[in-house]
This record gives sequence, C-alpha cells and structure tokens, in this order.
Amino acid sequence: MRVRQKGFVLIAMSVAMTLMLAVMGLAFDFGRIYIARNEAQVFTDAAAMAAASKLDGTDAGLNRARQAVAKLPMRWNLGTKAFTGVVVEFSPDKQSWARVTAPDNQVEITFLRAVGGPAVFTVPAHSVAAAKPVRLIE
Amino acid sequence: MKRRRQRGHAMIELAVSAAVMVSCVAGTVQFGYTFFIYNQLVTAVGNGGRYAAMRTYRAAGQPDIEKGKAAIRNMVVFGDSRPAANSVPQVANLKPEQVQVDWVMDDSGKPAAVNVSIVDYTVDAAFGMFRFTGKPAVEYPFVGRFAPAESEP
Repeated sequence: MRVRQKGFVLIAMSVAMTLMLAVMGLAFDFGRIYIARNEAQVFTDAAAMAAASKLDGTDAGLNRARQAVAKLPMRWNLGTKAFTGVVVEFSPDKQSWARVTAPDNQVEITFLRAVGGPAVFTVPAHSVAAAKPVRLIE
Repeated sequence: MKRRRQRGHAMIELAVSAAVMVSCVAGTVQFGYTFFIYNQLVTAVGNGGRYAAMRTYRAAGQPDIEKGKAAIRNMVVFGDSRPAANSVPQVANLKPEQVQVDWVMDDSGKPAAVNVSIVDYTVDAAFGMFRFTGKPAVEYPFVGRFAPAESEP
C-alpha cells in the first residue's frame, strides 16, 4: 500500500506536466507563430508596395525596386530578426506589379517539442502590389 | 505515527506540485495574453502604415501635417481616421499618443516613406507587465498624392 502511494504523485505529476507542457506550447509557441506570420505579412505588404512604386518598365526600375525592399527596416520574431531569402518578382512588362515573398521565417519551437512537436515551424508570407494603386485615400 | 508522517508527505507534495503548476499557469496566461496583444499591435500598426502610405500628404503648414499624423494615429488605434467620440480602441487601452508617426523625406522635400510605431505601451497581463516601446514598427513607402500647398479639411 505504501509503495503504491509513493509512486502516485510521481505519475500524477508527470501526466499533469505533459498536459501542462502541451497547454504552454499552445499558448507560447502558437503565440509566437501567429505573431511571426503576421509580422511577415505586414513586411511583404509594405515591401510589395515599395517595389511596385519604383517600377517604370526598365531594368533600372527593377533594381530600384529590389533596393527599396532591401532597405525596409522591418524585423520579425517579435521585432528582432531581419528577413532573409526575400524574393522579389515582377510582371513580365516590368511595370504592372511586384510580388514579394518572405519564404523562410523559421520560428523555433520551445514547449511543443517536448510533446512531439517540430523543432522549427516555417511561416512564409507573400504579397502582390500594383504599380498604379487603384484608389488612393484623399 | 506512520499515518501522520504520510499526511505530512502529501501536504509537502501538494505544496511543491501546486507551486510548479500555478507558476506554469501564471506564465502561460501572462505570455499568452501578451502575445495576443502584440499580434493585435502588429496588425494595427500595419494597417495604419498602409493608410499613411496611401493618404494625401497635405503640407500647407505645420498644423496640416499634425492633423494628418493625428488621422494616422486614429487609424492605428480605432481603425478609423475620424473616430466617433465613444469609439473603443482596437487594442486594449491603446491611446493615440502611444502611436508615433515619422515621415521620411527625400532630398527634394517630398515624403518618401512613413514610419509608424508603438511607443510606451504597457500590457497588463495579470501576473506581470510588459512595456513595448519602438516596436512593433512598420515602414511603408509613400505612394499617395503629395499636396504641399493644400491644407487639411
């Protein structure tokens, strides 16, 4: 009887801790994932607009567009990491639209790993912007 | 005697495990809520930046520039450049004063880009406070109409 009682708290705690880790993972890791996704989306939105605003049908315009994207100061991972591997694409006529993709923003997982989650979770984002905005705000 | 000692064990075990559990729950609530608020701030700042980028920049005088910035701040906080008096902020307790709007001018004195960021905002997450200053931040290129001689209506 005594032996059983001694083990009980250990087992109960380990079951509870596993559940707890899963809950913490949902709150902490998913929180970070959602933020990273949102940050990446806000970045590509601004970057696509920056790129599109430089387009003029020439190759020089494409270069200015790429530079404008590279110059943007936005960070992800709660505003700490620079975006890497950013891809900027353009319409074939070099003057209609620009598309920016931020493909490899890898959020490091903290708690969900303990309950079988992946080590990193990638949150890509992409945006397209027209060179001539349809409607400006007066 | 033996029984008593066992009861004491249970008390200590409860105390230790409860301390761990409660701090885990507190941490989860604290970080979960803070992340939730931060995510809302990222969205608000992004939307405000987009609005600022596409809005006509009127610069007949300093008051017009300030009026424009006020409209951008209101867009971040309320999702509306001219909010009604009883409008509720989109993010808990966010005030227009906590939104900073900075224009980046090019060499010819035209607006080239706009920076929108959160300054001195505190999240009250029940078990702890987090203060955000300078982030989240966004920079948008200015693509709107530049009207140096017009004044804000």
